[in-house]
Amino acid sequence: MCVNGRTAQGSSPLAEVATKLAAGGSLPRKHRIGAAGRRVATGRWLALWRGNPPNAAILALAGAGALLAVIPIAYVLMRAAQAGAARWLQMLDSRIPALMASTANLTAAVTAAAIVLGVALAWLVVRTDLPGRRLWQWVLALPLAVPPYVGSMAYVVVLGPIGWVRDWLGRPLVSIYSFWGAALVLVLFTYPYVFLIASAVLKRLDPRYEEVALTTGMSRRATFWRVTLPFLRPAVGAGGVLVALYVLSDFGAVGMLRYTTFTTAIYYQMGNYDLSGAAVLSVMLMSLSLVLLWIEGRSRERLVVHQAGGMHRPPPIGELGGWKAPALAFVLLVFISAVLLPLGVLMYWTGTGGTLGPRFWRYAANSLLTAGPAAAMAMALALPVVYLRARHPSTVSRLAHRAAQAGYALPGVIVALGLVVLFNRYLPALYGTAVPVVVAYVIRYLPQTVRAGEAAISVVPASLDEAARSLGLSPWQASVRVVWPLIRPGLLAGGLLVLVSALKELPATLLLRPPGLDTLAVRVWIEASEGYFQAAAPLALLIVALSILPLRWMLRDVRS
Amino acid sequence: MSNSWRPGRGLLWLMVLIALVGIGYFVYQTVLAKDTFGPGELVVYSSRNENFVRPLVERFEQETGIRVRLLSGNEALVNKLIEERTNVQADVYISNDAGQLEYLRLAEVLAANDSAKVAAVPGMYRAEDGAWVGLSARTRVLMYNRDLITEEEMPKTLWELADPKWQGRFMITRGGNGSMVAHVAALRAHWGDAKTLEWLTAVRANAGAVVNGHGDIRRAVGGGEFAFGLVNNYYFHQQLREPTNNNVAAVYPDQEAGGMGAFVNAAGVALLRSGPNPVNGRTFLDWVLAPEHIAEFISVSLEVPLNPAVAAAPEARPIDTYLVMDLSLRQLGPVWADVRQLIEQAGLDLNL
Repeated sequence: MCVNGRTAQGSSPLAEVATKLAAGGSLPRKHRIGAAGRRVATGRWLALWRGNPPNAAILALAGAGALLAVIPIAYVLMRAAQAGAARWLQMLDSRIPALMASTANLTAAVTAAAIVLGVALAWLVVRTDLPGRRLWQWVLALPLAVPPYVGSMAYVVVLGPIGWVRDWLGRPLVSIYSFWGAALVLVLFTYPYVFLIASAVLKRLDPRYEEVALTTGMSRRATFWRVTLPFLRPAVGAGGVLVALYVLSDFGAVGMLRYTTFTTAIYYQMGNYDLSGAAVLSVMLMSLSLVLLWIEGRSRERLVVHQAGGMHRPPPIGELGGWKAPALAFVLLVFISAVLLPLGVLMYWTGTGGTLGPRFWRYAANSLLTAGPAAAMAMALALPVVYLRARHPSTVSRLAHRAAQAGYALPGVIVALGLVVLFNRYLPALYGTAVPVVVAYVIRYLPQTVRAGEAAISVVPASLDEAARSLGLSPWQASVRVVWPLIRPGLLAGGLLVLVSALKELPATLLLRPPGLDTLAVRVWIEASEGYFQAAAPLALLIVALSILPLRWMLRDVRS
Repeated sequence: MSNSWRPGRGLLWLMVLIALVGIGYFVYQTVLAKDTFGPGELVVYSSRNENFVRPLVERFEQETGIRVRLLSGNEALVNKLIEERTNVQADVYISNDAGQLEYLRLAEVLAANDSAKVAAVPGMYRAEDGAWVGLSARTRVLMYNRDLITEEEMPKTLWELADPKWQGRFMITRGGNGSMVAHVAALRAHWGDAKTLEWLTAVRANAGAVVNGHGDIRRAVGGGEFAFGLVNNYYFHQQLREPTNNNVAAVYPDQEAGGMGAFVNAAGVALLRSGPNPVNGRTFLDWVLAPEHIAEFISVSLEVPLNPAVAAAPEARPIDTYLVMDLSLRQLGPVWADVRQLIEQAGLDLNL
């Protein structure tokens, strides 16, 4: 923070001058100021950085990453503002109320169900003598590796109007193309967010609080509701927000199950090149996400659960007794619905007429050729942002850090909307290439490398840099030879997460891909929407197999 | 499972390598792959089902050595082509609907083509200036499931679909489907605005399901979900060839003496103005008009060729054996955008 509570941000001309001075550049004649003025400017500049201003290159790179990440938001806001009052009123009158209801209903239903399912499973796996509990701990996280559009495809094959169930029983039993179909599929493939966080908290929970409650005569049930659950509440809130944000941004599952939400409406609006209409809808969707992020911010504040110090014991394991069989059946049911059924369907279709032609590998190559550079770029852009935040704390570095994470709550359709005009009008040479797709991935997944890098650098003490410098290294050498090797593994893990997320990305790729650059995800979408499941299945299997890779890190983080 | 394994130097190099390959690919695509260097490439936008187009472009690649970059989509590509007018990406547009092609020509997105091969096509199936040319016919029919309804019970005219007695028994596509838009445009030319709107509103209310595409209708009617559906005739041909759920037949509507006749649209190919590979674009147009390539164009879709020298699928009724609506396809172009408004006005969503 700034001295005297004043902020000297880039908007004032003095600060601009100070930036240039600090960067070692010379000033143009008209900016030349007296020695006294220069002292004031330098003083303010130093105060902004608490006497520790960063290298100009790092500042510029961090600024570039932050600016790139907010382009879609800036464009969408601008375009929506230009849409005009009449357009806004017309849309507020017609489409928006219905979309608001359909989106909010689905988000609320999926989040509530995922929380119940996730907490129940975490409790069974961590705190009871459920048979095979160690195995279930990671098996029940596997649905995270199945993109919901792949899961939807499997459920259409099984429960669709002319699916397997209809072939066996004569009628399809349920209507999968409905609110309930979309909700079921989304719950099955998002509950692990809650399950993983709740398991981690349950493992770390100090058992003494529960013991005290039990010795004062509270029943087991009352202890769970009044002692254990309050401890879980912040964690459940964080997991629930992750689920809700996912549902708001999902395009593939709702698109495949024909349930219209904001994302699908924006997608079709863009197909008709009604960009103003799409921007108006995007603003509404972004405000929904903002509400969620505000809730998340509050739940994070409360995530600081104060536990008394002392020896940590693993929590006791309750006996299920007569409940063992029903509990096992419940866990098995979830496993079958969320893991076995989708994988079984994919393997069945791959086995019967699945085609692994030369085009299969071309699609895989296209996926890697877009996701790979995106991962590399996301790491390169995250590094200065993270370094600035950790080693040169100031308002500027906080803003850059915040801006770089904009993609966290930006659905792919909005990122695509923000980029399509930018490239077509202002960078026409790049428009028909893979560049817009890669940039979209970078914007969407930069938060993943930023968070990974942040976690990595937080365990490297600043005193290490100082020690290196006292031994004669320049600041730059200290960063390269001491800090970089220590944070590289963490940053690379983040890059791998980006790689896999980008491989799975559907809506932005669909909207921005140039001719001839179909990725695995795009092909799964095209083939499945035309009913050619045997063509979609091998591609979907490859996506799932690749997505299992980073699950190892996610699980390890939870365990430690 | 070891918890200590972390991605190391090898992965870093792998990522650098992938990034370099990506940059190389970009340079190749923007500089080296143009038709000024050897055979180069051809960029095709297509709103046809991709499985109908893929064999055709692969054969073109094999026979000419020109690499094809294909972008498959739906009728939204019309808007994309107009939006890209100042930064043209495609050389050729393949469409299921002559109305779209004429609409694009009127929007000055297409290039006139004086090729002798295009000029040889009958005038009613091509643009005045040769900018687009039709290859295959697609007739709007009512396909029904013979387990659920007999030919006698089936409606014989399109107007009958507005009758409440068909409530919940048939399927139509979403209003924005390319074939649907063209069909409504034709009905409007025949019936006028008021009667078309009345019909659309009633049909929307009566339809048992409104689905994304005709493939959904043929599978659902074949599977017995609904008694019948409004489709292009080749979807009926395709369903006949399914190993199961194939007990289907089709009614060609409005065949009574003095009746309106069935609506026949054409799928065709257009040449874009100032595309990136203009030479290859013209090469493709001439190539695709050869009878053996028209045969390839319809081999998967089972449409009826417009060129009588090309054999049709055995399931297909020849065009000259039924009554056809008296309407030039060029008339559909100017009204293409208006018709979409009319459809929305009737409460039929353009997109689902």
